[in-house]
Amino acid sequence: MIKVKNLTYSYHTGGKKHPGSRPDKGGRQVLQGLDFAVGDGEIFGFLGPNGSGKSTTQKILTGILKGYGGKISFWGQDISVMQKKEFLQKIGVLFEFPYLYANLSAADNLNYFASFYPKGQLRDVGELLDQLEFKKDFLKKPVSSYSKGMRQRVSMARALLSSPKVLFLDEPTSGLDPSGAVLFRRIIEEERRKGTTVFLTTHNMLDADLLCDRVAFLADGQIVAMDTPQSLKEQNNSGDRAPTLEDMFIHYTGRGLS
Amino acid sequence: MGKKFCALLNKDLRMMISGKYFFMAAGFLVLYTLYVNLGYVRFMKEDPYHVYLYDPQGLEEDVASEIIRVSSKEELEDALQSDGGSAGVDLSSGKVQVILYEGTPKSDQYRAAYALSRLQSSHEYRAEVVGDHTLEQKARREITCELLFFEISAVGFLGIAAILFKEKNMGVIRVHGILPLPKGLFLFSKMIIFLLADLAFAVLLTLFNTGWAQGLRVLPGVLIQTIFLSLVMALVGIGCSLLLKDFRQFTLAYLVIAIFVATPVFLTANTPVKLEGIAYHPFYPIYMGLKNAYFGNWAADPLYFAGVTCGIVVLFAGVWLAFCKEMAKEG
Repeated sequence: MIKVKNLTYSYHTGGKKHPGSRPDKGGRQVLQGLDFAVGDGEIFGFLGPNGSGKSTTQKILTGILKGYGGKISFWGQDISVMQKKEFLQKIGVLFEFPYLYANLSAADNLNYFASFYPKGQLRDVGELLDQLEFKKDFLKKPVSSYSKGMRQRVSMARALLSSPKVLFLDEPTSGLDPSGAVLFRRIIEEERRKGTTVFLTTHNMLDADLLCDRVAFLADGQIVAMDTPQSLKEQNNSGDRAPTLEDMFIHYTGRGLS
Repeated sequence: MGKKFCALLNKDLRMMISGKYFFMAAGFLVLYTLYVNLGYVRFMKEDPYHVYLYDPQGLEEDVASEIIRVSSKEELEDALQSDGGSAGVDLSSGKVQVILYEGTPKSDQYRAAYALSRLQSSHEYRAEVVGDHTLEQKARREITCELLFFEISAVGFLGIAAILFKEKNMGVIRVHGILPLPKGLFLFSKMIIFLLADLAFAVLLTLFNTGWAQGLRVLPGVLIQTIFLSLVMALVGIGCSLLLKDFRQFTLAYLVIAIFVATPVFLTANTPVKLEGIAYHPFYPIYMGLKNAYFGNWAADPLYFAGVTCGIVVLFAGVWLAFCKEMAKEG
């Protein structure tokens, strides 16, 4: 269970802020008192336009950014008092871009990243790549020779490698062809079935609609709506046509899809 | 911890191999060795200034063997004109007249004094060699010191930055922010791998160019100075790659760094030019420490050790902050 209470963050100063308070001179308050909770085994969609604070929230939740205000707890324990090493062993992160060592092969990349986790919690690299339908003849070739979709598969394998309890996914289907996107959605659902909590950040409303148990719309550092995709659509059904999650995005954030 | 550090070292080693770092270092080692053994040492063996003597009256019978006699004043003038660094002695008037094409005041005095000393064969102009500190050995140590300093502070530094920019551009530094890994290990691994490469380079360069017997004698001191210089340059390289946007920006900064590091230090240490305040130049004490180590005069000055250690700690702290900033950058 992830619980976030009154989360604030201001760039430039990085100092603690309270909701509604003004940022320091020259600072930019990007998060203005977020409150949400994500249950175990839930897929939670964190949606919003560029610059709304999604990435900042994810960075704070993954322990990369410090100096935030408010409280964050994972499994009932405050993140600020948790052993960082133990915490990082329990999370998996897929970045928006497939950050990999281009001179190393997929296997070498994954073995390298695997060396930082306890052996007992590691998944088999070969099985993972099989599951992600990675072309085997590329296994020993350098990543620099891979397509974006293949790199994304290796990045997903890296995120899943340590059997994380919480999976942070940033635009997971970006750069994938439709069959790759379907495969990734299937894998994310399998993770959920295993009890993994998934924190999904995306602009892809189809992914959010198909995968998420609940979604939160973020605009200007505040959560403006949070519910199941179905409920949000029903609440805003004006009758002309059934609204989509894209309509909800525009409705709640006040902006077109970026 | 050991397993994680080995994984980082292995990865950094592979980055260096794929970045052709060792290939480049080996190339420069061969180039420097060829230059020292086939070029520099030979230049140093060149005869001193030629001395042309015009003595129509035969006043000087017992001159040194280096003297070249000419038979006319025109021949003397032609010789001096074609051999600009030489000195002429004209005894046609019965008095000793030294003729030079003007150079610098200091070298003119040396040339004149040398020319006069050659008029008598019994005068020895060479300094006495004490022990095995021959002129050639002195030249070898000096140039090896300069090449090692240049390699670590300029050539190797460029190689380090090229590799680190590659890693930065891949975005993988950000991935390390979410790995259960003490973040300092990431920096330590790079410092250690570049240090080992520099130490190996220093050993080979010293042995190949100063000789095994002499080289082994001075190596301990040389290696200690190399450790200091290597750590400083590795940290500066890591810092630059984290703070600057791309390699193109770095090349501009590199020019400034290389000029700032190398020029005043070389100028002061190897020429009569003494720049004011050079003692406060951060690289001057390291260069002089290295030079003294090559001449076996290396003394453990606690103040020097403390200063360099403090410098390395401060640099590490700065690099650490830049590293944390890089990890938190936007994806």
